[in-house]
Amino acid sequence: MDNPALECRDVTVAYGSVMALSGVGIAFERGKIHAVVGQNGAGKTTFARVAAGLVRPAVGELRINGQQVKTGKVKDARAAGVELVHQSFALPPSFTVAEAMEFGSDRGAAIFTRSALQKRWAPHLKSLDVNVDPKRRVRDLPVETQQGIEIARALVADARVLILDEPTAVLSPSGIEMLFERVRKLRDRGVTVILILHKIREVLAIADTVSVLRGGRLVDGPVACAEIGAKRLAEMIVGPAVARTLASGDADAATGRGAPAAHTANHHTPADAGLVLDMRGVSTLSDAEGPALRDLSLTIKAGEIVGIAGVEGNGQRTLVRAIADLVDATHGTLAVGGVDVTAAPLARRRAAGLRVIPFERNTEGLSLSSSLWENWSARELLQSRLLSAINPARLKKRCDEALQAWGVHYATTGQQAGSLSGGNAQKVILAREVDADAKLIIAAQPTRGLDIGATAFVWQSLREARDRGCGVLLISSDLDELFDISDRVVVMLSGEVAGTFSAPYRIGAVGAAMTGVSQ
Amino acid sequence: MNDIIVAILRSGTPLIYVTMAGVVAQRAGIWNLGLEGLMIIGACAAIVGIVLTGSFALAMLIAIILCVLASVLLWFVIEKLKANPIIAGLGLTGLGLGGTSLAVQAIFGSQAAVTAPFGVPKLGPAFGPFGVLSIFVLAMPFAVFAMWVLLRRTRFGLRLAASGEHPFAARSVGANPSRMRLAALIIGGVLCAIGGAELAAGSLQIYAQNMTAGRGFMAFAAVIFGAAHPIGSAFAALFFSVVGALGIRAQLLFGDAVPHDLLLALPYIATVFGVWLSGKLRGGRKAATGFAELRDY
Repeated sequence: MDNPALECRDVTVAYGSVMALSGVGIAFERGKIHAVVGQNGAGKTTFARVAAGLVRPAVGELRINGQQVKTGKVKDARAAGVELVHQSFALPPSFTVAEAMEFGSDRGAAIFTRSALQKRWAPHLKSLDVNVDPKRRVRDLPVETQQGIEIARALVADARVLILDEPTAVLSPSGIEMLFERVRKLRDRGVTVILILHKIREVLAIADTVSVLRGGRLVDGPVACAEIGAKRLAEMIVGPAVARTLASGDADAATGRGAPAAHTANHHTPADAGLVLDMRGVSTLSDAEGPALRDLSLTIKAGEIVGIAGVEGNGQRTLVRAIADLVDATHGTLAVGGVDVTAAPLARRRAAGLRVIPFERNTEGLSLSSSLWENWSARELLQSRLLSAINPARLKKRCDEALQAWGVHYATTGQQAGSLSGGNAQKVILAREVDADAKLIIAAQPTRGLDIGATAFVWQSLREARDRGCGVLLISSDLDELFDISDRVVVMLSGEVAGTFSAPYRIGAVGAAMTGVSQ
Repeated sequence: MNDIIVAILRSGTPLIYVTMAGVVAQRAGIWNLGLEGLMIIGACAAIVGIVLTGSFALAMLIAIILCVLASVLLWFVIEKLKANPIIAGLGLTGLGLGGTSLAVQAIFGSQAAVTAPFGVPKLGPAFGPFGVLSIFVLAMPFAVFAMWVLLRRTRFGLRLAASGEHPFAARSVGANPSRMRLAALIIGGVLCAIGGAELAAGSLQIYAQNMTAGRGFMAFAAVIFGAAHPIGSAFAALFFSVVGALGIRAQLLFGDAVPHDLLLALPYIATVFGVWLSGKLRGGRKAATGFAELRDY
């Protein structure tokens, strides 16, 4: 292949002592759709950022259209025609659409008026099928539109290589279809597209070639998608060592192989089990974290995993906050483990059996600057009296036992929680929140950012808790995850329940409920 | 009536210049609590400069250079030494207040005030009753308009705002947020020099120790009140000055009935009220910029 659109040679990036990329050399042919896959922590995002000049590798070369480009310079990479669309979008929320387009542009008058700006960008947006009023503010737009704007922004200059970092993670199934259509059109216009993905199903649906990263190294690629099967690709992503230890359903769900609808319920909740969560007609006020809940009713039986699906920002966070007493219910009642806790503080709710694995592991789940034993002991310290004495030696010993039982890798219980890897940190939270007295476990994005081994561990732990008679509320933006372990899936849309589904799940029906389209 | 307007413009103009300095820093993501220090440096340098060089232009040049240097120091401490911007700003205020006193002592001996033979050039008789005002007063509305254009209607302004609101977004399009902040602080340094010079040499022609008396903090309050919008914040600063001028007027009229200290405190009370009101009006939504560093993943 002469003059590849983008080529990395021997790229190595280290964050502290962690090697994000080591010696990655890869070249992408012009005018095709290339996929780069790998599990969380494989180095995909780092690779995209190196290509776009946002991260400067310790060693390595970057060549665009055969020309060597200085590494770590966004300006140079953009001048050579490389644009990156980020996973969580990089548009200032207070900007209008027109301003968001302008601030990334390099041409045109330096001073402008609002109307000139709108006139300037409206045709560009239209030509890319982004139907949005350029006067609107970014923060008021749905994620699909924000992504469209971000792609349009990336294409204001003469982009020859467009890199999209996990573009499907925030989209509904129909949004993914639209995105793929957009990407194919761009390829037909001669743009080389590199998609960072982590679902095999999506790779095979859209890409011409695929490259696999694992642990910061290039396993293989680019290889033509036509020449590689889903099974082989899954093995390359997971690695042969881990592949042998995973249950096949979990491996498929974690790599997004095959149709998620294929999973069927393998567990039957006894019909007469009591309710561990009983929300009736709960409404809240809206806040900065998301829309209000509107007359939401939701029940979970003992021994049942209920999954909450929905495009991010449709009230999932508010739901968790309402159950965890972080936002007050203006109407309705809430009972946990058969005890009415509508107006009860968190300590009483936890005494009734509520446990929470929160969305943000590092800010809500753990105090990173505190020791492991302090983090672990928070559960019972919250229940003890305000002036009761703390016995560190006893707590440390019990923490030691608990963490070992959960297989956490750590040196001493006195080390800071911030020194653990993502998977280990999540295990500490599990060790604290999944105990014998738990009746209702809220698991909010419990596997986000974890590698496949840790993901499977979390799923197995939740299943075991369910089999012991806990109710589990699982919130996830990953439909594969939800379909794999939920007994029932509830779709949320704008703070309301938009549909309830049970296995076997039909992705089309769930996707339609997520976007509010009636089928 | 004219004398009230003159009084308002006299007290309002220095405040508005310094408020503009705060606005541009705020947009770039820096809560600049060093405004007080920068303002007193500008005030002191202008008067001392006039006394030593006998030239207004040279004195202004000295004031601008010193304020810009102090601003660059603030940038260095925040961006390169990674200090907390609030603490660094307060430190700069301390440096300004203490440094000016020290400099005056070193140059003139133990002396709390320095008087200059002349001040900022006046508008002159062509402006009738407003002729006693300085040229900086006339330039002020243009400066506010220029700041509005720069911050809201240029690509530079958009990138500056992105650097404050979402630095990662700024970096993604090839801008350097740290350098944008340096630019913002340098612009602010120039504005603070003008504001300080106007305070000391606009009508009084005198520098006295600690003569800014919290005006830098009042300017910062105006930035918050005006949501870091140049025109909104300028009006907020003007509002504080109106309250102050009316307070002095009220003192003359009802000085016997109302305690004099209470009337002097009016602008500060108005400031507290204004900041409270701006929080209320914005319905608890965060101000234009928060702690930017958190978003630079």
